[in-house]
Amino acid sequence: MKPAPFDYMRPDTIEEACAILAEAGGGATVIAGGQTLMPLLALRMSQPFILVDLSRITALRGVTRIAEATRIGPMTTQNDAIADATLQSRLPLLVQALRHVGHHQTRNRGTIGGSIAFGEPAAESPAAAVALGATLELRSVRGVRTVPADEFYLGPYATVIEPDELLTAIDVPDWPADSVPLFREVALRPGDFALVGLIGSIVLESGKIARASLAWFGMGATPIKARRAEDALIGQSPDSLQPALIAELAIAETDPFDDHHATADYRRTVGQRIFTRTLSEALGIRQAA
Amino acid sequence: MNPTINAARFIGQRVPRKEDHRLLTGRGTFVDDVVVAGMLHVAFLRSPIARGRILSFDTAAARAMPGVHAILTAADLSALKIDMLSFFLAPAEIAITPLADGRVAYVGEPVVMVIAVDRYVAEDATSLIEIDYDEEDPVVTIDDARTGAPVHPGMDSNVAAAMGEDEINEPLEALLRDAPHLISGTITHQRIAQSPMETRGVIVSPQGSEEIIVYITCASPHLIARNLSMAFNLPNTNFRVIAKDVGGSFGLKNQPWKEEMAVIAAGILLGRPLKWIEDRWENLTGANQAREQEMTLRIAFDNDGKLLASHADYHLNNGAYPHGADCNIAVVMFLWSAYKIPEFSFQTQGWFSNTAGLAAYRGPWAIETLAREVLLDEAARKIGIDPIEIRRRNLITRADQPMVASMGIPIDDISPMECLDKLLEVVDVAAFRIEQEAARKEGRYLGIGFATYIEPTGAAGSINVMTGELAHVQIEPTGKVTAIMSTHSQGHGTQTTMAQIFAEELGVPFEDVTVHEGDSSRGGFSPGAAGSRQGVIGGGASIKAAGLLRDKIKKVAAHLLNANPDDVTIEGGMVRVRGAEEMTRSLRQIAEIAYGEPDRLPPGMESGLEAQYRYNPPPMTFTSAAHACIVEIDAETGFVKIKRWVSSEDCGVMINPAIVEGQISGGLAQAIGTVLLEEFGYDDRGNPTTVTFKDYMLPAISDVPDFEFVHANTPSQAEGGFRGVGEGGCIIGPPTLVNAIADALSPFNARCLDLPLTPSKILQLMEGKDISRAAQRQVKSDAAAAAAAAKAVAEKEVHIGSHGEGLPPMAAAMLPGGADAAALEAESTESEVHADGSATEAAPPSSPAGDWDCVMSTPMGPQTMKLHFDIEGDAVTGYTSSPDGTAEFTGIALGNQIKFDLKVTKPMKITLKYDIAIEGDVLAGKVKMGLFGTAKLKGSRAE
Repeated sequence: MKPAPFDYMRPDTIEEACAILAEAGGGATVIAGGQTLMPLLALRMSQPFILVDLSRITALRGVTRIAEATRIGPMTTQNDAIADATLQSRLPLLVQALRHVGHHQTRNRGTIGGSIAFGEPAAESPAAAVALGATLELRSVRGVRTVPADEFYLGPYATVIEPDELLTAIDVPDWPADSVPLFREVALRPGDFALVGLIGSIVLESGKIARASLAWFGMGATPIKARRAEDALIGQSPDSLQPALIAELAIAETDPFDDHHATADYRRTVGQRIFTRTLSEALGIRQAA
Repeated sequence: MNPTINAARFIGQRVPRKEDHRLLTGRGTFVDDVVVAGMLHVAFLRSPIARGRILSFDTAAARAMPGVHAILTAADLSALKIDMLSFFLAPAEIAITPLADGRVAYVGEPVVMVIAVDRYVAEDATSLIEIDYDEEDPVVTIDDARTGAPVHPGMDSNVAAAMGEDEINEPLEALLRDAPHLISGTITHQRIAQSPMETRGVIVSPQGSEEIIVYITCASPHLIARNLSMAFNLPNTNFRVIAKDVGGSFGLKNQPWKEEMAVIAAGILLGRPLKWIEDRWENLTGANQAREQEMTLRIAFDNDGKLLASHADYHLNNGAYPHGADCNIAVVMFLWSAYKIPEFSFQTQGWFSNTAGLAAYRGPWAIETLAREVLLDEAARKIGIDPIEIRRRNLITRADQPMVASMGIPIDDISPMECLDKLLEVVDVAAFRIEQEAARKEGRYLGIGFATYIEPTGAAGSINVMTGELAHVQIEPTGKVTAIMSTHSQGHGTQTTMAQIFAEELGVPFEDVTVHEGDSSRGGFSPGAAGSRQGVIGGGASIKAAGLLRDKIKKVAAHLLNANPDDVTIEGGMVRVRGAEEMTRSLRQIAEIAYGEPDRLPPGMESGLEAQYRYNPPPMTFTSAAHACIVEIDAETGFVKIKRWVSSEDCGVMINPAIVEGQISGGLAQAIGTVLLEEFGYDDRGNPTTVTFKDYMLPAISDVPDFEFVHANTPSQAEGGFRGVGEGGCIIGPPTLVNAIADALSPFNARCLDLPLTPSKILQLMEGKDISRAAQRQVKSDAAAAAAAAKAVAEKEVHIGSHGEGLPPMAAAMLPGGADAAALEAESTESEVHADGSATEAAPPSSPAGDWDCVMSTPMGPQTMKLHFDIEGDAVTGYTSSPDGTAEFTGIALGNQIKFDLKVTKPMKITLKYDIAIEGDVLAGKVKMGLFGTAKLKGSRAE
């Protein structure tokens, strides 16, 4: 478990990093916190020619406010994000989700951007980005583009990032302070990837659901937005909702798989149950036993 | 204890461990901490396929890499003759070479070793080596092994070892059939990856022709040295084996295996120090594993829930290269030895497969407790009595002892029932049942599980390597105490526990005692950390050695101080004479005289203050326990939450309760992993599917509750009254937890027989699904039948439209596939002719008279022996000859069949009934070994 040989570069600026990626022509891999990449390098499952270490690029770190949104630097560590006052007040759901990422020690190094860009389908951060409607800023020597998080993921560990592109910002739109958070993760041990995970946010206006955004993780090849369930929720009042039926719509859009840890059936069954319970509890709906 | 010692007691105290500061501040010396000047590093290229022939190597590119010193294959290592030996130092039953020789038999098998300046370069070079394989279909599971082609060439099946009755025992079957209640079930136990914190590792450092130093993480440096000496059999060579700190073994490090032997052999051949440290990926793929097994247990009860009879049918996956071909006879030996059961019989079989080999794992026979205790609970539910009551009616209590239990095991010192009674003083079952009932009404599923067990610990004196332990202790001229032990810590604190005993027995401060172990050049032989033995035997040796030394100190002091030895006491490192305070001397003062002024010692006394004692305990010292566990199952997700776990154990006199509780807790953590999380997987092609800790799920601290302890201890008959406690938690833990889960799921009539009980499986059980391996097999065969039926339908449909139908045979043979089939048919006809021909050409039967080289497969591994027959008419006389000695016999000869009986006393008094058939120069037969069932005997005419 020693990595194959690679060249190592540690640029100071985003421009420098993009220049290296452009020149490498696909042979470079960026390393953020290294919590996933280091084991992959050691197992030789990843064998880049050049490793581009982003740790010196201060512009990629920290949380700032922009118009009606919060901009999170992708190199912000998960623990720094959890401790960030702006995120705690503006995006408590994201903070809640980040507490489930790995363990305290790994969160000291692991970054939000690293996790989002890696695209593990059972991880919390990609689903949080999708559920919260984040926009991802991608830069290269060719220019800048932005991609909505729910168009970012193509498959397990596969995203729309081009080999010469760098994730430079995660912009999360503001949600009303009284929006209702939904979060539930079922994992074999604390810190593990989810067997089944659900994250979402609901906005009520005059007693009716005006906005709903829900995403699954661990339920398919990518984070999966539960669009049919969202549509079914809009305009409804919590009193007249039937959470179990909404859960059926939500589960219909998932495509879970069998693996060593759980069957697809398990994921669907438990997914439907936790959806029903989480939605009911979040909206204060009393469920029939 | 000794009444003359009034010092502060150390035995029984929660003394902080001497080793902790060193280990917890990163100052331990594990094998990877050792650096030898000029050492090179080893990386292995491992087989990517489970089974096949090696067609060719191309190592040229790797050899050309800068920094690469050597690239070795099996052919290179064959310059040395290497015997791969079992834990019992028996030669392997099958051909085993350190590197794959011509064939590979599991994914991860080391094929080529690269030796380079560092591990990075070595791994880079392995990626440049190309090997062509001719891949074959592997045998992966026990089911595969039953029908698949033999893993090892030259064998006629995949049976690695077998014991017990292979014919139906009609009287027992009748008992089972006619009993008022018959409970039967098949427990399937998943494969467990041995996951010590410190993976395997070795440094070989040749010192010239006389000494080879081997640093290796192991269970006993002395056993490794003995193994290497026998395995390499080099003239004028001494192996010195050093292992200061060890980060867990569990059985994996009992003996050096393929990789370690390859590194040591290469070091000898190259004359260079070499280092190999197993990385975690290698550990999870290449290291020997454990526990993949199944047991079908049938138990008959009378109307009162009393045991009538039982039968066990047990199968164990040995992998390709087990540490010793094994059918795990201890499983049936101890299955019923704590219970009153009139009749019991069994069959056990070990199976070779194309997977990582088997190794012992903490409580290697543990499935007996699992199967028995889980099915006892099922029986209680079926018969309608309480799970505690069914044990009360059947366990051997103190009042029943002494008695001879199932399998002829003498039982005179067990207390599982008494442990259970003490347990019930702190676990209020009635209150729990009320809580359980109320919770069920809310849709919450609580369960309580109980289990009892006994375990033979501290075994010595009947199997060659299972020797006594040696303690050497000395008062240094400084007055401090140094002890050198044959024990060896795997992290479990023998440097502390043995020091507690010396401090207590010598009357010295604990801080003044230093215990050394871990170097085969010091102290005496022992198999080290195996069989829950060190506390019992090492503890006894320490008491005896300390006693000898104490007596000598008293004699010296009495002589010097002109006092009666009986009036001399040692306390806090000071030697006093009763009634004469002015005579008080320090141990240092006495020691300085004992070493430096021998003229002042009693006439004829040896100078110095040193003593040693090799202690042999009673043959078996039993530990007993009863545990209870309470769980809650989340009905939505199938997750199990352990709410409470109480251990009530009789482990004799405790040396250090904190270490006792640590041992039990560690075993229980493994048990929780076994029941809820861990499962080493292979796909159909024999590829391991859980090769990192992301996929192989060990229990984390969040999965392990705070355990409660009831110490229901009674002194054992061994010196000091100690009993072994190393493995118990790992044995009793699984059934305790499974029974709690089964109790929680009792409204669903769930049978919890298939480990691990993952949330997925628990939800299936709650839905009333049968998750047993047997049911899966049925589903598989149904699917296969359905597929076959579908195929038949499809073929029929094809035939309707096929132009091939109705063609003459020759034309059919010209269609794709047809010609081959025809040729194959012709070939097979031909080969039958050959077979017939060679049968008639076979050598005429010759007389059995003369010498035969034989191998008998026994529970302790294969035993080689010579047989000699003299034939006179129908009578045969002769002798067996083995390293254990020679024994004569008389018997009968009926043609080529020979039968005789032989009485032996080791390892137990039994009569061996030989039944042998001889064909030409080949001998084959069976040896009935009384209660131990039947062993196979194979042999050939001695040249």
